Amino acid sequence: MSNTLRPYLTAVRATLTAAMCLENFSSQVVERHNKPEIEAQTTKESLLTPVVISRNENEKVLIEPSINSLRISIKIKQADDLERVLAHMFTRFLMMRAENFVILRRKAIQGYDISFLITNFHTEAMFKHKLVDFIIQFMEEVDKEISEMKLSINARARIVAESYLSQFS
Amino acid sequence: MILLEERNRILEETFRERFNRTDEPEKLFLTIHDFDGVSYSVETKDSKSVLFFSMSMKCYPELRAYGADHVLYREYGSLFQQTPEPGFEVTLRIDETQLGGVDKEALIKKLALLKRNALAAPFEAAFQAQSEGQQTNIMTVNYREREAIYIMGFPDRVTVIFSTQFKEETDQIFGKVFLQEFVDARRQPAIQNAPQVLYSPREPPLELRGLRLSDAENVGYVTFVLFPRHFTPGPIREETISRIQLFRDYLHYHIKASKAYMHSRMRARVESFLKVLNRAKPEKPDDQKEKKTFG
Amino acid sequence: MADFDDDYEDFVDTSIPARSEYELNAGIQDRSNQVRGFVSSGRFAEAVAKALEDPPAGRDAQGAKDKNLQVVMEALAAPRGTDIPVIVKQLAPYQLDTLMKFVYRGMAYPEAFNPSVLLTWHEKVTEVTGLGSIVRVLTDRQTV
Repeated sequence: MSNTLRPYLTAVRATLTAAMCLENFSSQVVERHNKPEIEAQTTKESLLTPVVISRNENEKVLIEPSINSLRISIKIKQADDLERVLAHMFTRFLMMRAENFVILRRKAIQGYDISFLITNFHTEAMFKHKLVDFIIQFMEEVDKEISEMKLSINARARIVAESYLSQFS
Repeated sequence: MILLEERNRILEETFRERFNRTDEPEKLFLTIHDFDGVSYSVETKDSKSVLFFSMSMKCYPELRAYGADHVLYREYGSLFQQTPEPGFEVTLRIDETQLGGVDKEALIKKLALLKRNALAAPFEAAFQAQSEGQQTNIMTVNYREREAIYIMGFPDRVTVIFSTQFKEETDQIFGKVFLQEFVDARRQPAIQNAPQVLYSPREPPLELRGLRLSDAENVGYVTFVLFPRHFTPGPIREETISRIQLFRDYLHYHIKASKAYMHSRMRARVESFLKVLNRAKPEKPDDQKEKKTFG
Repeated sequence: MADFDDDYEDFVDTSIPARSEYELNAGIQDRSNQVRGFVSSGRFAEAVAKALEDPPAGRDAQGAKDKNLQVVMEALAAPRGTDIPVIVKQLAPYQLDTLMKFVYRGMAYPEAFNPSVLLTWHEKVTEVTGLGSIVRVLTDRQTV
């Protein structure tokens, strides 16, 4: 594990904790509506400054806070074609199950692989620190999962090739 | 199961059951499918004891040009019909009343190899040419839509080239990983005698330059170089033909299997993520443990 | 429905006198020279403090902001990792808030500035200020 992972995750954790100060806020545009302002983007005064935390060009997190909601988008490490395909497979798989994940956005923000949308209703129903824990753990495990998947494909490919070719000798 | 079988198991079991019956034969009408779009039909017509076993194979006219009829006649003798049933390329006629004194098990196995034997024709032709020190033209077998096997006999070797298509990007990249391992595997001392494998994504290899094939993003070319030690007449030759034929199916089968495995892994991972997320939900007061009361 | 862009202007501090691009650039050039001077003589704390002075503000000063960012990043990249906590301790809270803004700004361009240095600054500043400086980055309309 590289030594930049820890400060990276620490920075994400601190920023998320700071950004996750959400309160109920009715739409100022449509009466009796209550929308995540970060998604609606209709009233600028309800939005805060978005920030990016990056580990390198290929791994970064975009945090877009607003008064009642917060969007966090993650760009997952993809060192080669295989990792890119695996990351794509995995995030698509997750996003198709977004309804179970409550905070998962069905579509990633452009330039990122996966996005979460957390609203004040989520922070009211769930522990804030545990939500932060979830995101951090997610970031750690996604990388791990993808590299394990990659290893397993390589291992399988080797066995497949060897058992095929050893029939000839 | 890592390796694929060269025999069609459904055919094998169908015939075994049929030939080992003791009661009166019944009417039969079966359609069975195999790799590469090949399908078989096993049926009885007017007489319940005469089986018509037919195979539909799109590339058979090409194979016939390389001597497939001859190979099949050699293998199946009088069972092989000069005129196949309509809609099929090959028909074998098996009269069950004539099976006395025949080694049934050997016949069953042979029947289950029908596709393999038809496809063997160009290989045999190339091996023959090599042993005579001659060079053959490129023998093309378009065994699937947009996928082909090219077989060439040279005075010192026989080259077999597969063109294979990857329908989606995932398959293409998985395929690349697998094929790279085929190329690298020969470094292992245990399999140094295996045929040399070359892989070229997109661009057709030099040998096929005369065919003017166009480059395509999702096509890969796999070349096997076979030396005489790989096709010594006898069991080695037969084994090699069976193995090489199945290469494409073997590769794609394992790509699919890898994807299925990835899927089950992801499913498990999603479960574990959900568990972590659900930890964020506080327990409802109702769910709390019942308070113990005394008295 | 009101025009939100007009409302938005109300959030920008108008107490800062508007300066022309020319004035801003002259100031940045001047600061850049001084920062380089401090860096080359090994006075990193002074270089950082100098770089954080008078950040250009306002929506129209994007060009000046980009140039200024370069100056700040130069100052932040100079000290060794072990010196960073020492420097952070010498800075006043308002300087730390500005520093944090620059840290986030720099991290948005991982291809231009080394994110691992910025992550170290982030960590050390957070140790001193807690989440306060981060909250102020998120809420302050006066971006750098």
